[in-house]
Amino acid sequence: MVFLTSPAWIRAAKPDKFWRRRRTFRLSAHYFGRARNCYKTAIIRVEKALSYALVGRQQKKKDMVQLWEQRLEAGCAEHGTSLPVLRQGLMRCNVLLNRKTLADLAIWEPRTFKVRGSQLAME
Amino acid sequence: MSFKHLFMKSSFVKAPIQNGIGRYVGQLQRITVKFCKEHSDSKGVRDFIENQVVDFAKQNPGIVVYLKPRRHRAPHVKLEYLNGETEILSAKCLSERELRQWLEVARGSSGEPVARLRKMQHTDRPSIQGVWTPWTNVPPQTNLETFPSEEGYRAPQREQTATEKLRELFARQQEQKQLTEETTGTS
Repeated sequence: MVFLTSPAWIRAAKPDKFWRRRRTFRLSAHYFGRARNCYKTAIIRVEKALSYALVGRQQKKKDMVQLWEQRLEAGCAEHGTSLPVLRQGLMRCNVLLNRKTLADLAIWEPRTFKVRGSQLAME
Repeated sequence: MSFKHLFMKSSFVKAPIQNGIGRYVGQLQRITVKFCKEHSDSKGVRDFIENQVVDFAKQNPGIVVYLKPRRHRAPHVKLEYLNGETEILSAKCLSERELRQWLEVARGSSGEPVARLRKMQHTDRPSIQGVWTPWTNVPPQTNLETFPSEEGYRAPQREQTATEKLRELFARQQEQKQLTEETTGTS
């Protein structure tokens, strides 16, 4: 006799959850306490960490821009101008330097930055 | 993915320009091949040893090749570099050709560990004109200043404060009053 119905009731084997959980544990290896070893605790902390990482990546860009602008303001104030004046002057001279490069110039090449600032004050 | 976990090192950009401009010295020092004589995972390694290892050793006189047959273990190749770095390359189920390819990669490698680059640029001389200091744009005559000094140390121009504005308004009011009193007094 051939029984065809009973094999149809057998579910296909699910993949071993060890590997899925291991992906989480690799990220939680340096956590404190149960968050390191127990999956239900670890997954909560790891998801939080990943969302922090996402926000942090976006925030880091904003923070860097703020830092450069602060440094440029300070550099301009030293030479008696301000950042909007510097920006306008650079645009009129068709100098397309971004804030990062300008801030680096102000720190590492102060004389170039001074020349820029005085040129633009004249403009 | 986040980089803050423990498994990937981080380093700065390096250009190994000291090797290759005058004379090139291969950085791979020795390879130690551990394999099993019987298991199927080591078949590629065994074929490599049968066919290619002698040629490889002859072509690379600067690399020492050690062979260690160890039973019932997964096969791997331990690569040791001149800067002291050790890398273990798993040869499990690699074909003979694949193993040769990996060894060629190792042969040309500098031994620096695979690491995340913290910055994409590096320079030994970041400043040509001199780094900015608080005294970069200060005239050197300040060294010879005697205090009290009025010229260089006046307070910066600023807007009138509200109190000053009120005082000015009040003073003007008083003047106006006086003028009107005078005119009414005289008239």
